[in-house]
Amino acid sequence: MGTAWGWRMKLRPDPHLLTGAYALDAVDDAERDRIRRHLARCPACAQEARGLREAATRMALAAAEPPPPQLREKVMAAVAQTRQQAPAGEPSTLTRKGAAWRQAAGRGRHGSSAAPGRAWMPRLAAVAMSLVVVAAVVLAVAQVVTQSRLNTARAQQAALSAVLSAPDARTATASVQNGGTVTVVYSHDERRMIFTAHGLPPLTGGKVYELWLMAPTSNRPEGLLDLQPGGRAVPVVASGLRPGDQTGLTVEPAGGSAQPTTTPIVVVPLTG
Amino acid sequence: MNFREARGPGPGRDREAGPSAEPDLGGLLAHVARGDQAAFEQVYDRLAGPVYGLIRRVLRDPAQSEEVAQEVLLEVWRTASRFDPSRGSATTWVMTIAHRRAIDRIRSVTAEAQRDQKSAAAAMVPAPDEVAEAVEGNLDRERVRRCLGSLTDLQRESITLAYYGGYTYRQVSGLLGTPIGTIKTRIRDGLIRMRDCLGVA
Repeated sequence: MGTAWGWRMKLRPDPHLLTGAYALDAVDDAERDRIRRHLARCPACAQEARGLREAATRMALAAAEPPPPQLREKVMAAVAQTRQQAPAGEPSTLTRKGAAWRQAAGRGRHGSSAAPGRAWMPRLAAVAMSLVVVAAVVLAVAQVVTQSRLNTARAQQAALSAVLSAPDARTATASVQNGGTVTVVYSHDERRMIFTAHGLPPLTGGKVYELWLMAPTSNRPEGLLDLQPGGRAVPVVASGLRPGDQTGLTVEPAGGSAQPTTTPIVVVPLTG
Repeated sequence: MNFREARGPGPGRDREAGPSAEPDLGGLLAHVARGDQAAFEQVYDRLAGPVYGLIRRVLRDPAQSEEVAQEVLLEVWRTASRFDPSRGSATTWVMTIAHRRAIDRIRSVTAEAQRDQKSAAAAMVPAPDEVAEAVEGNLDRERVRRCLGSLTDLQRESITLAYYGGYTYRQVSGLLGTPIGTIKTRIRDGLIRMRDCLGVA
């Protein structure tokens, strides 16, 4: 069970009981991910969570008070200068289920800066990043555009460009135990990473490659890799990066797991 | 200041059907997604009050609250195309972003260090927001107060600490000296009662 990596297998009580705490945002990030996965499999739970969140909204409205008068002008001025995100389209393998929703709610302090737009290639020149790696990522993204719904790819692009053009962007490459190479571009400022892989051997018996963000106290599932011919994985953008995180891949049973059940086949530290 | 329209929790309004004279919020967001700034101004007028009020309830500090409210409203502008009516009402979409951003702020390391039991106690009792009290006919406030009053003490304290205080259910458990499992179920039971009492879907 990967004790060599110090994986901590958490006790996992029935996530259904957490719909209330989830609706109030009273859970931590790892739990939120776990509950989302549960809700994706349990329509009744999802419906309950929706209803409870509407109840929470009434509590929100009850707290309404007039905002400072100057806020309107500030917001409108910012709006006039802020590019909007393209529609996300239907969730696909590219983004995990609910990723668009999470992304919508997951934009942090960068929310007030202008959206990065499409022209990120020139800005890359300023980034001390291996051209080979950039080429690999761009190629991978180009493949996504042909292999996935275009609008979904566009949604990813804003996140991709944010990471790729971040001043603190770094890359890390590692070999995978059973063959293949993973490349990670990450930015702690943006709290995001882009994960790509190629040469991964196909898995049998319905098994899947599952991506993780790993910290000493918790492992956060970041989705299943969508393996294309040639063992190339559709790039995954993961948010919520924290200092000290590592990323890793495990082989999991069909559908993936909420916590790793096997020893990782590759672990990449995301040093700041 | 015209944010009252957003609040009507009464039947027929919370599903955003809205009076015929007003476009519903979901419809406005669709216009916003296409870059319609006039539509966004209407969204602002409806939701700036609830957004700011909720954030201030959680963060308390007016300057920080204004900053976070600005971020949230800009996020609504930027990501309006991501609103998916099948996942919940437009109001809930916006208020979820607002609550999450307030929580992010309060759970950041520095903010955490400044928090203590005193602010926890303060969060439990809804502050007498004089300005807001003066706003005529906040039906939500009265309803929510009445429905909170129908809960057991532990349910009410757990829910208000979690939502208005911004604490995780584990922190609530610590603050109330009650086992985690109990808090978890009280929050859920209590919120189910709130849902039924408020008559939301």
